[in-house]
Amino acid sequence: MEEYIRTVLAPRISGDGGWVEYVSYENQKLTLVFRGECSKCIILNRCTDWIAQMIRNDLGEDVTVVPIRKKPYFWDNH
Amino acid sequence: MAHVKVVRRSMRPEEWTDLRFVWLQRGIYKDKTEITDLEIRDARQVAENTYDFCYGGWRKLSKGDLYFTPDGTCFIRGHARVPEAYKGQEIYLVLHTAAEMIVKINGKYAGGIDPNRERILLNPFLTSDDLTIEIEAYNRSKPDDERNPAAADSRGCRQIFEGAYFAVIRQNVQSLVYDYTLFLDIAKSDYFNEDYQKFLNRELSKALDFIDFDTWEGVDEAADYVRRVIYGNTDFHGSGNVAVVGHSHLDIAYYWRRIHAVQKNARTVLIQMRLMDRYPELRYTHTSAYTYETLEKYYPDLFAELKEKIASGQFEPVGAMYVEPDCNIPAAESLIRQCLYGQQYFRKAFGKTIDNAWLPDVFGNSWILPQILKKSGVDYFVSNKMSTWNDTNRFPHNNFIWKGIDGTEVYACVPPTHFISWNMPSQIQENWEAYQDKETGGQTLSMFGYGDGGSGVTEEMMEMYRRFDRVSVMPKVEMTGGAEFLHRNLKDNNDLAVWDGELYLEMHRGTFTTKSALKKANRDLEYKLREAELLCAADFCGGADYPAQELRELYKKLLLNQFHDILPGSHIHPVYEDAMRDYADIADRLDAILAPYAQEAPYFNSLNFTRTFPTFLEEESGEIVRHGKRGRWAIPQIPGLSAGVPLDAPGLPGWISVSGEAETLCVETPYYRAHLEKDGSFSSLTDLGLDREWVKKGCGFNRLHIYADHPGMYDAWDILPNYKDVEIPLAIAEPLHLSRQDDSSAEFTVSFRTERSAWKMVIRFFAASPAIEVENIVDWDEKHRLAKVNFGADVLTREMLCDTSAGFIRRSLTKNTSWEQARFECCHHKWFDLSESGAGIAVINEGKYGVGLEGDEVSLSLLRATIRPDITSDMGHHDICYVILPHSGNAVEAGVNRAAFEYNVPLRRAGVKIPQVLADVLDDCGLFLQAMKRSEEGTKIVLRLSEQDGARGKISFPFPVTVMNMLEDPEGETQTVSFTPFEILTLGIDPARLS
Repeated sequence: MEEYIRTVLAPRISGDGGWVEYVSYENQKLTLVFRGECSKCIILNRCTDWIAQMIRNDLGEDVTVVPIRKKPYFWDNH
Repeated sequence: MAHVKVVRRSMRPEEWTDLRFVWLQRGIYKDKTEITDLEIRDARQVAENTYDFCYGGWRKLSKGDLYFTPDGTCFIRGHARVPEAYKGQEIYLVLHTAAEMIVKINGKYAGGIDPNRERILLNPFLTSDDLTIEIEAYNRSKPDDERNPAAADSRGCRQIFEGAYFAVIRQNVQSLVYDYTLFLDIAKSDYFNEDYQKFLNRELSKALDFIDFDTWEGVDEAADYVRRVIYGNTDFHGSGNVAVVGHSHLDIAYYWRRIHAVQKNARTVLIQMRLMDRYPELRYTHTSAYTYETLEKYYPDLFAELKEKIASGQFEPVGAMYVEPDCNIPAAESLIRQCLYGQQYFRKAFGKTIDNAWLPDVFGNSWILPQILKKSGVDYFVSNKMSTWNDTNRFPHNNFIWKGIDGTEVYACVPPTHFISWNMPSQIQENWEAYQDKETGGQTLSMFGYGDGGSGVTEEMMEMYRRFDRVSVMPKVEMTGGAEFLHRNLKDNNDLAVWDGELYLEMHRGTFTTKSALKKANRDLEYKLREAELLCAADFCGGADYPAQELRELYKKLLLNQFHDILPGSHIHPVYEDAMRDYADIADRLDAILAPYAQEAPYFNSLNFTRTFPTFLEEESGEIVRHGKRGRWAIPQIPGLSAGVPLDAPGLPGWISVSGEAETLCVETPYYRAHLEKDGSFSSLTDLGLDREWVKKGCGFNRLHIYADHPGMYDAWDILPNYKDVEIPLAIAEPLHLSRQDDSSAEFTVSFRTERSAWKMVIRFFAASPAIEVENIVDWDEKHRLAKVNFGADVLTREMLCDTSAGFIRRSLTKNTSWEQARFECCHHKWFDLSESGAGIAVINEGKYGVGLEGDEVSLSLLRATIRPDITSDMGHHDICYVILPHSGNAVEAGVNRAAFEYNVPLRRAGVKIPQVLADVLDDCGLFLQAMKRSEEGTKIVLRLSEQDGARGKISFPFPVTVMNMLEDPEGETQTVSFTPFEILTLGIDPARLS
């Protein structure tokens, strides 16, 4: 799962100025850190749905994505 | 006395107008009919206009569906029948989206849709009641700086399809919306007369009273009232004369890869051409030969149409260069090639030599540019940032003359306002008020059109323009072309002020340092290209083929990556990966060109003077490791443009002695007595030959510092003046110690650690050279850090000499004025020097550009660790070398520039013979052989010779040579060529003369 996130999904998300990092995968719960443009995206849920869908298609696993947003300091104002 | 703040809770009259204006906008569409027969196919772009379709086939696309995926592209197609009721009217395709789309109707390019425009007029493309729709759709809009911040909130990788519609509009409502857009902008602006604004607020409200917003009756009466009462009011008068030019700034790479810019460019061109169909008066300017090349290659139909628009004068190629490059970091020869290959394309494609450089967004401009421009057929220079982005001083001119390092003058325009504007009255008025050359410069220039990711002028902007001359408070506004504006206002204008110096941008100072690997690769490849061209040209003199096309392609690839958001490092991570891949490709292909020359060959000195500086020769049997490779040091002693066997650096048994305690090592060599501290810094460096001290008491010299670096949202771009406030402690993992020694060189090594990074510094002394080399081997894993090495030199001087790659610039070290204070971090090329009468000290680098001019300690910027736009910026392994070179005399007398060339141009094996007559003329001729190549037209040898010491002189050939401009156009013949300080010469030679 970690390699899949790093090699398949992360490059695509970085293509839009975002950033995703694997944190953990336990009991079908996939925790990911989102940085860059993703950290302030107000429709991130659509992206996490897509991630779950890609994992279902490519790895055959049903996951629930738990996103952790890490805003850079200059956007971390509220 | 109690203070009670009066809060108005009821609606103000202006708010009532604003509210009804929103209702008016809703009334634009008279009717809409949804197009339901649509299909979509997901893809991912993998190269220029090449897609990976592995994400499934076509599927139905309906309103409410999610579309687009991260880094995704999609194609949409469909069929529809025009509603019967719409016939005889203007019929539009309406599709509201945050994405960027090229739309074909019945196989023809009909227009573009993006966040700035949601509809396309269909009538010109309707051949029957039925039509087919084909859409190339991308979802890579610019993430910041939008006119409407609310629009940015709808951005994201996954969009909800809001449906596609046929629509007809209420023309009278649309027209009135434009009237209100114009007058509300004036009413809310700080730039217009308050009494006029009161008048507008009263009368705009009254006009809306005519309208029934349920039945849309009264619109014509409202429009008539606006015409009579508001447009008809001539009691208030504006002043000024503003030339407006349509433009769309297109970053070839930024928050998108360059492969995506191909579509962005095509969409932009298409949109502008369709707009010209409706608004023939539109004059639109578009830069960069590269963007035209990609349009010609991938969109030939659009390109054919574009040529017609160029011929008609509506669409104007501007900017003579191949791309809009960074104008700080590329060397002179790169900037010349930007012009050469740019102009070559414009001449071939459109029969035009572009006489302006159009660089609105670049981050400051090197002093060497005027000469390069002038000799490339460019008389005019346009660049915006100094006026709108300087953080300390207001740049004092807008229309002026820019005098270059060699004294060459070009006409220059730094428009008073941003290069992205939407042609609102307030922006026009702001431009006029900010214009500083009202008395001398003629009209002021206002570029209008959305940009950064392309897009350009909109229908609304043109409708504003058509109304301006009916509004009495507006300045005179005239649509003009870019060249026309420059010719009319600047040409032969004797009143213009002269700016003599670089055009330093007081912002984006971090871009000299961010993404160290890009800068190093660019520097290496600039010299590797020089070497390859020179060897091939020498062979060409002997009758061999010259790989002109391959060399030109490789140069263009390097030039492309000098774009002002690539080489400066201000881009997302995939752009960095593309650039490094391009650099590797260029290097490999140059190796393939160079390899045949290297077989069993002696070393060849491609410099046109004898090499005497310590040179590292990579050899597997060598005992010294530098840049991770084994080798040996040599003092080549090979004459210029000749081959030879480099001599080992002379050995001298017992040449170095090391003594001292744990804290300080005392090192004595034939040149120095040095006190080295455990962190690798020098507390003393006594020059035995000059009998003087080089280290200022109490200052760090060669001291590594890591600072907290938090410049804000422009993270990759900026370094703030207070960067020294917080210094990060560096733990010494292994104190400085003698780590290697032989009869010719010695190495001292110190290792540092931070929590996450490892930094090893190796200091090298030589038995037979005063040069002291420092190598920094770094595994860098930091965030928000700036690494610098400081040099507190005991030199009484108020100026620092900085190499520009084609001469040196003197930069002030004093902080007396705000201009000096703002220049705390500047760009230099291979070296900087601090000298007083009789002696000085230089620091020569091999790929660094940022230099700090702070107090008693100047600094070389080594590494940053920024997170926006690329969270991984500069992470990983680095190997950074520089040389400390104390010397007698000043920098010119000491030959610092020569040493810097030797340090940057590797000595390589090459079995090639430069025609002896050429070697004889060029060796030590007072000019640096910047390039030697075959001429573009294929018959001559072209020499580019650059004077870099600020001297004048003559160079004589035993036969006539052709004096050329930098486009290789012949300008005369002579045998003796005079040159002046910092002049760059281009000479053509018939190869038959050399045999």
